[in-house]
Amino acid sequence: MSARLSRRDFLKFGVVAGIGVYVAAPGSSALAALFEKERLRPLPWDAHTGKIRYRTDATAKVTGEKVFSFDIRSRDLPGWPEQQSHAMLLRVTKADRLYAGFDLSVLGDALKPDRIVTAADLQRDGVAFPAFYGEDMLLPEGKTPAYLGHAVALLVFHDFARFRAAKNALKFRDDVIRWGAETGPLERPPWAAFRYVRVGGATPFDDDAYSSLKDTPLFPSGFDRKRPLWPQANAHGALDAQGAAFAANIAAELDAPADGTLVMEREYFSPSIDTAALEPDNGNAWFETATQTLHLVSATQSPQEIAEIAPLMLAASKLGVRNLVLHPCYTVGYGSKDHNPFPFYALMAGLYGDGKPVRLANDRYEQFQSSLKRHSFRMKYRMSVDRKTGKLQAFAADMVGDGGGRMNFSPSVCLVAATAAQSIYYFPRSDLASTVISSRALDAGSARGYGTLQSMGATEIMIDEIAGELGLDPIELRQRNVFTSGMKNTQGAIPGGAQRADEVLARCRAHPLWTQRGQRKKDYEAANPGKRYGVGFGCVQKDFGTGAEAAFAEVALSKDGRVRLRHIGVEMGTGMATSQAAVCIQWIGRPADEVLTGESQWSELPMFANADPWLMSQAEQDRNVGNPRWTPNLTSPSSASNSAYFFSHATREASRLLFTQGLWPAAIAIWGQGFGGGQLAPLSVRREEARWVDGKLTAHSLAPLPLQALIDKAYELGLATGVIVHTFNRWQWAEADFPLDGDDARLPLDGIALRWGDGSGNGRGTATANGYRMIERTRAHYPPAQRNNAGVVYYSAIGTIAEVAVDTATGQVDLLNHHSVLECGKPIVPELVSGQLQGGLAMGIGHVLHEGLPLYEDGPGNGTWNFNRYTLPRAKDVAVWKQTGDVLPPVSDTDPPKGMAEVVMIAVVPAIANAVAHATGHRFRELPITRDVVMDALRAAPAMKKEQPA
Amino acid sequence: MSTVPSRKRPLTLQINGRSYGPVDVPEDMMLVDVLHEYLGLTGTRFGCGQGECRACTVIVDDANGPREVRSCITGAHYFEGRRIRTVEGHARRDESGKIVELSNVQQAFLDHFSFQCGYCTPGFVNATTVLIEKLAKAPIAQADVESTVLEALNPHLCRCTGYVRYYQAAKDLVMATPGLVKDGPAKKEQAS
Repeated sequence: MSARLSRRDFLKFGVVAGIGVYVAAPGSSALAALFEKERLRPLPWDAHTGKIRYRTDATAKVTGEKVFSFDIRSRDLPGWPEQQSHAMLLRVTKADRLYAGFDLSVLGDALKPDRIVTAADLQRDGVAFPAFYGEDMLLPEGKTPAYLGHAVALLVFHDFARFRAAKNALKFRDDVIRWGAETGPLERPPWAAFRYVRVGGATPFDDDAYSSLKDTPLFPSGFDRKRPLWPQANAHGALDAQGAAFAANIAAELDAPADGTLVMEREYFSPSIDTAALEPDNGNAWFETATQTLHLVSATQSPQEIAEIAPLMLAASKLGVRNLVLHPCYTVGYGSKDHNPFPFYALMAGLYGDGKPVRLANDRYEQFQSSLKRHSFRMKYRMSVDRKTGKLQAFAADMVGDGGGRMNFSPSVCLVAATAAQSIYYFPRSDLASTVISSRALDAGSARGYGTLQSMGATEIMIDEIAGELGLDPIELRQRNVFTSGMKNTQGAIPGGAQRADEVLARCRAHPLWTQRGQRKKDYEAANPGKRYGVGFGCVQKDFGTGAEAAFAEVALSKDGRVRLRHIGVEMGTGMATSQAAVCIQWIGRPADEVLTGESQWSELPMFANADPWLMSQAEQDRNVGNPRWTPNLTSPSSASNSAYFFSHATREASRLLFTQGLWPAAIAIWGQGFGGGQLAPLSVRREEARWVDGKLTAHSLAPLPLQALIDKAYELGLATGVIVHTFNRWQWAEADFPLDGDDARLPLDGIALRWGDGSGNGRGTATANGYRMIERTRAHYPPAQRNNAGVVYYSAIGTIAEVAVDTATGQVDLLNHHSVLECGKPIVPELVSGQLQGGLAMGIGHVLHEGLPLYEDGPGNGTWNFNRYTLPRAKDVAVWKQTGDVLPPVSDTDPPKGMAEVVMIAVVPAIANAVAHATGHRFRELPITRDVVMDALRAAPAMKKEQPA
Repeated sequence: MSTVPSRKRPLTLQINGRSYGPVDVPEDMMLVDVLHEYLGLTGTRFGCGQGECRACTVIVDDANGPREVRSCITGAHYFEGRRIRTVEGHARRDESGKIVELSNVQQAFLDHFSFQCGYCTPGFVNATTVLIEKLAKAPIAQADVESTVLEALNPHLCRCTGYVRYYQAAKDLVMATPGLVKDGPAKKEQAS
């Protein structure tokens, strides 16, 4: 700890591997520049309408305050030295030969780095990547790089002017890295392969003959030339052999279809893309040698990961680090800053700053060269359909993603790609296999879309083509096959709640863009010679959740009436801080006044985890479940789609418990004051009658009470004034029994801590920290480990109609208009939902028409990519003035909000691809559909004879 | 590419009504670097370093009126003696620097939930401010509002929002500000 800073400035996260880990406390003086409390105006809202007027972080962002770690320099941080050093990573641009060192003579003496760090330094000092990020944080000489862009050296400069000049001098040069013999790229087995086989019963509602949930997914025994070796088929063998036998039957059915069955076989390609988060990866680290403390400011979507594994990295080194201080910031990443290696490079830079803070920040070329990418996928699909009924019969998929040089989240993306391929359809029989290979490409990670954009997009393009073959309206075909409530997905699981893709389809089919498309095509083409008009449709449902969603949240009331929300979630621009504040309204009567995000310190509720929640056996779970402080998983990283449902659950349950254990009994006490039981006595009042009206609590006909009066009473009587909860979800919420009364005896939570009154006295539970007492569960009810095989059970759906014009002289595709219908439960803040919808659509438009990166030598690993050649959609490309979107009304007032930030980008991809097909008569199965691609198709052959029915 | 550090010379300019400098700055350094590393003004964002994304846009005020300039591709010494505005300078602040009132453009972006991560927001604030100030001198017809806003803001990249809420905010502000639209409702109100 810095001697210049008070201990009150930091919250101790804990001791990990002997390293004391501290998180700069929001509200302390340690990171004044980033204090949400200081920068954020109270959330403006109307108590009468419940409408939030603007984002909680809006003022800070619109006035250019320092909210990103990219903005932070050492002079901004109290206690840090004034002088800021700067560093850059030297990266290779080849990965098929031995690395033989580097030559910085181009810099001369004047621009020579003040410190050069290589693999030899790291080896000497015992500095290495955490295991998750693989080997060779810096590549040693004599080895072949594992991937393009592999870092080989860190160059540190103690003044900015020399740093800037040196960086400019080194850019785009091929003569800095020295090479040895050619070896060819490293050959390594794939990162993962999964296969889900299902053969349903007589109807979608009968028991399955075979499914992953009921039986087992198929796992490869090994790989042969990057292809998985699946179990041998044996109808009477082990479960997986039976699964392989069912798969063989499906293959035979598709090989020799019955009369009247159409089998379509197609191949699709979805490219690697850069998430293009405008804040580049960056960090600023200072090793304060006097106190052996390493400070890190860094952009991350997974601060908990850094708090947990950075100490392991530091403890293994010989550099004598004893403390680690982390500073959370706002960021943006669309998944590219989740479990990202960059913060560990920033940490490493800090270790070699010679006592000075070192800033390591990508420019855009470097960002392309090193940031986590969206997986490219090549997908071979076979689908059969009864020509007469238009009912889908069987679906076999073999998809191969490229995960690049490090594993990262490739196994998870691989799994999700397979389980999403069914899109919105019910398939009686399916065999969905997915492999993600390793390669010399840049790492692909948990980029928004996460395998589903790729696999569902392909399905939706295929369904459109099948409709054309059958002569059916494409939406009609979808309606005949749509997955409805109670059906089983391709893993054999029944998704939670009502499935409403059928409502989305019905609305879209009735939309004028769809009903009038034939006439509009005639009119447009008559008025615009040389242009072809088309309308296309796509409809998808996207899972959300990971199967091990976990969160901490605290809702607390201060004596002076302020509502404070602390949460593990990170604000990534999605409005998470705003929406979570608003979730409090239902139980607290108003949004949280103060929202602290990215919180890592939860000593008040000392839960622990000791195993991988996805790989955990039932026996392992059973062994641990008796310990009331054990949980399968402590926290989840923040993604665009998990805040609305999973994070809100934690916030809502904490708010609810604060109400039932604090505000409601306080209200009863106030209403019961006076002779004979006061105004309460003559009435029969139940808790479910409680309502917040204009910010005051009432029930039945009782006099409305302001929040402050309730808080005063709760403090006076030692009722709950603060609640911390822990949640866990494995496609089902973990529940536990607690020694509380009534409805609180069993809660959809696995850990709780309460603060009674001001926390100074006694109360139920075991005292932990900060006035809280942990109320240990008496029994836990975790979803069985087998439920991991459900794959996914939470979905939200979207349909998008796209209207395009294709210029036959240039191949240019103009998006004229689009309309979307989204189903996402009950939105928390409608403006944020519509903003996510519009933003997701733009990202999808980029994916289908503009964006795409070569994987290897010509790709971003060569350090020459930037926005001049990587085309992002601009306002003119997204039909900014004309686009429209509807959100389906929730099923009821209690319909929970659902994750929707990923699904919104997907349907527009096939919608546009199908619209271009409608316009030109050519099917495009490889993305992006650029001008050149369209022109090649138009030149190669005249339009297909069989167009979609108009 | 030069392999020696560029010569430094003193730079003096006015930012948000306040004089900065003289600061010794290398002759080939871009303004965005000077704002960030020498002056501590990081609200002007670095996005691409190519002038493609416009997150780094600042406003130059001179005899020709306000105009946008990309600070990531414009050398700092170009601004010698000039007056510029950055995102930090739009809101009205009290003597302690605390924000008292946002500019109309900033408030419109808040009211429309225009931005998400906010990284591109400074560029949009500056571009929209320049547009509003230009329209005050050269009003347009109501029928041209959408195309005018599109022409003004299209160069600015945003990866989060899909642009719609920025554009609606700008359009609503143009329509609601008296004197910007010849035949707009604000004009009529003013007349009545």
